[in-house]
Amino acid sequence: MTGFLKTGLAAIGMAVMATGAFAADWTPPGPIKLMIAFKAGGGADTQARLIAEELEAKMGWKFIPEQVTGKGGLNMAAALKDQPNDGTAIGMAVTETFGYNMAAANAGFTPEDFTGLTTTAGFQMGVVALSSKGWTSFDDMIAAAKGGEDIRFGVMSPKLADLAYLLGQAHGVEFNIVSVKGGKGVMNGVNAGDLDVGFMAGIQAKGVAAGDLVNLASALSEPLVQTPEAPTFADLGVEYNADGYFVFVGPAGMPDDARLALSQAITDIVSDDTSKAGGLIAKAFGGASTISGDNLTALMAGDYANAGQLMAAASE
Amino acid sequence: MGTLDYVWMGIQAVFQGPELFSIFGVSISVTLIMILGGFLTGIAVGATPGLAGPIAMAIALPILISVFGYTPDALLPVMGFLIGVMKGATIGGAVPAILFNTPGTPDAYMTTLDGYPMTKRGKAAKALRVAHFSSASGDTFSDIVLIVCAPFLALLVEAYLDLPEKTALLILSLSFIAAAIGGSPAKGLLSTGLGLLIAFVGTGEDFYPRLSLGSPMLNQGFPIATSVLGVLIIGAVFKEMETLWRQRQSRDIASDIRIEGDQRLHWADIRRLLPYVGRSAVIGTAIGALPGIGSTLAATLGYTVGRSRHARTKTEGRPDFGEGAPEGIAATEAANSSVSGANLIPVLSLGIPGNAAAVFLILAAESIGGFNPGPSVFRFTADTVNPELVIAFGLFTAMMIANLLNWTIGGVFMRSMGVMVRIPKHILLPAVLLLTLTAIYVQETRMEAIWFALGFGVLGYFMRVLAISPLPFVIAFILGGNLEESARQAFAATGGDPWFLFTSPIAALFMLASVGVIVFTARKTKERS
Repeated sequence: MTGFLKTGLAAIGMAVMATGAFAADWTPPGPIKLMIAFKAGGGADTQARLIAEELEAKMGWKFIPEQVTGKGGLNMAAALKDQPNDGTAIGMAVTETFGYNMAAANAGFTPEDFTGLTTTAGFQMGVVALSSKGWTSFDDMIAAAKGGEDIRFGVMSPKLADLAYLLGQAHGVEFNIVSVKGGKGVMNGVNAGDLDVGFMAGIQAKGVAAGDLVNLASALSEPLVQTPEAPTFADLGVEYNADGYFVFVGPAGMPDDARLALSQAITDIVSDDTSKAGGLIAKAFGGASTISGDNLTALMAGDYANAGQLMAAASE
Repeated sequence: MGTLDYVWMGIQAVFQGPELFSIFGVSISVTLIMILGGFLTGIAVGATPGLAGPIAMAIALPILISVFGYTPDALLPVMGFLIGVMKGATIGGAVPAILFNTPGTPDAYMTTLDGYPMTKRGKAAKALRVAHFSSASGDTFSDIVLIVCAPFLALLVEAYLDLPEKTALLILSLSFIAAAIGGSPAKGLLSTGLGLLIAFVGTGEDFYPRLSLGSPMLNQGFPIATSVLGVLIIGAVFKEMETLWRQRQSRDIASDIRIEGDQRLHWADIRRLLPYVGRSAVIGTAIGALPGIGSTLAATLGYTVGRSRHARTKTEGRPDFGEGAPEGIAATEAANSSVSGANLIPVLSLGIPGNAAAVFLILAAESIGGFNPGPSVFRFTADTVNPELVIAFGLFTAMMIANLLNWTIGGVFMRSMGVMVRIPKHILLPAVLLLTLTAIYVQETRMEAIWFALGFGVLGYFMRVLAISPLPFVIAFILGGNLEESARQAFAATGGDPWFLFTSPIAALFMLASVGVIVFTARKTKERS
């Protein structure tokens, strides 16, 4: 519901701004290079390519998608930073790239080196286990851990590893935290029995609906759309969370008309459930979640500033 | 709902799917046409050096999804096309290996060892027939095993291999390959080590791109297409070009490769090949069922087993393995083709892809929705219909249709590929080079990829000059990431136990075998010299 409201608000906001006329007049001065921070063929890559494809059809802009993967999106950020900021080069990553990852890597750039365009969808980050393990609630898992069972906890980023550690700490257990590639990796590991539990950001939706997987907890500040009864991290005594979004960005100092036109065009497509990109997002993430303009700038700056606290908490 | 009901519903889903057109009142479902289209595309792509099944699948998938949309109805047509490409490319891949000594895919590398000498002796068409017969046999056998065993076998295999065992198994594969291929274990280990080194550039879990020497160009590491196609294909093209140049120098103009003598595959030939096909099909199927271990190892093992049998049983006057023995082609092709069916066992029952082709099938399933490869697929529900199981049997049906096509028009198509021998090398080699570089650029879309590929081409050239097999390099490069990942995971999962490779009996056995195979082969090589 919240996602729906957010979408609605964002759509209204964008519609109001669109009457400012200058955004509608903007056309890119050349083909737009779209740098995708995810492996070709993955869910996020498919989302980015579909959005580009539909923008081409709808707006008549030309896109050149390109993979710049690795290091939690930092390789893409490093490459995008030095591109022209006239709207002919944009990138797709996750907000975590510009928050925790950028802060942890100390790579010589900050969110201020980028112009946030818009988010497309929020993670539905759950702590997920196989139903066949017999755990129906988070407490069941903790009870198993306290009973002496080694719990293998799959994570797909250093930030999530910190969160898993804090989660264990809050309940007096130590998980064996296993780092794997992407939510798909976590799901494969859990399905194969190599992992007992793990973070999944939306990929679990079908498995949970089928009854094979179970959301034990929401790693977000809000309950999961699919399993609202699962406790959030705040309920479980962890003051940090895995809130995050897929996000489009450009290099710093992008002119307002270009920024507005790009973010508006992307928002329109992902908010439309009948578009291919919108359909994909509705399926995996329960609908679009678009944050743009100053709100996005503030979100990215906040994530970056707060990353240090989580790192400090996890290294105590 | 009994098992047979599900089988029947799966078959119906293929034949009575959305209608494309009808002939004399018989409606032809779109799925059937897509399987045929995929199969023909697959052969063409597989027979084209520099292109391979996965590349065609990667390009086709986004187009197909945009045509068919995100409805469960789209699953069988799209996946049918991909299965067609996978099967077509498997038999097509042998064509460039036999005719041009340039394997389209790494697993066809062993096919060059006997296929190309046969071509040089004027037996190209016969070599292709042997390859098609063995490939189609292996493929069909593998599919039957898949259909019979999928629900049981994969669960069994997975139950016995935990993360430490998987790591140990990867180490064993690498050590076996280093020992078995490339003449001497030292050269094999050199090639393997180099491949691992390259695989570790820019990868890893740290935010700092390791081994990148501070160059942003290396931050992402070397893309898989550049190293594999670079070393295997561009390297071979360079070597061929050198040969061509030398022949010009000595004014010894290369004569056209001729086709002479009897090219047919007789019943006697088939009887002689069958033991090799059978052994290799079993090897390939067994390896295919293990997730993550691809057709290259199967081809190598099949070839090695075939070679030792051939050395024991061969009659005087028949060519040895490596000198143009049809048995060598049969052993390789049956093994690498029989991987593809069995590879879908872990894909369908556990959702874990074992090779690139399987990755695209999973991707198709996930993008479209309505089919969630995993343990839920093989749940035989009694009172309600499990739609995923219907799709699974639909896919099995699609595979059998593709096999039928393989046995019939597949052979005709491959034999017609024989004319490609007549293409002159000075035109073919640059064309292959261009096609390969284009394929790499299509996949990587950045100029660095081309420079990397050319660099790997030079490396592949020098490896050939120094008689170091490039195959262990390529396999080590492909497995390097998995190896590091599974080792890290096994270490973490065991709670940071540094002896994780030796604490379980299976893992310890694998490790012992890894050392044993190197020591054993090294001693044997020494004795021989």
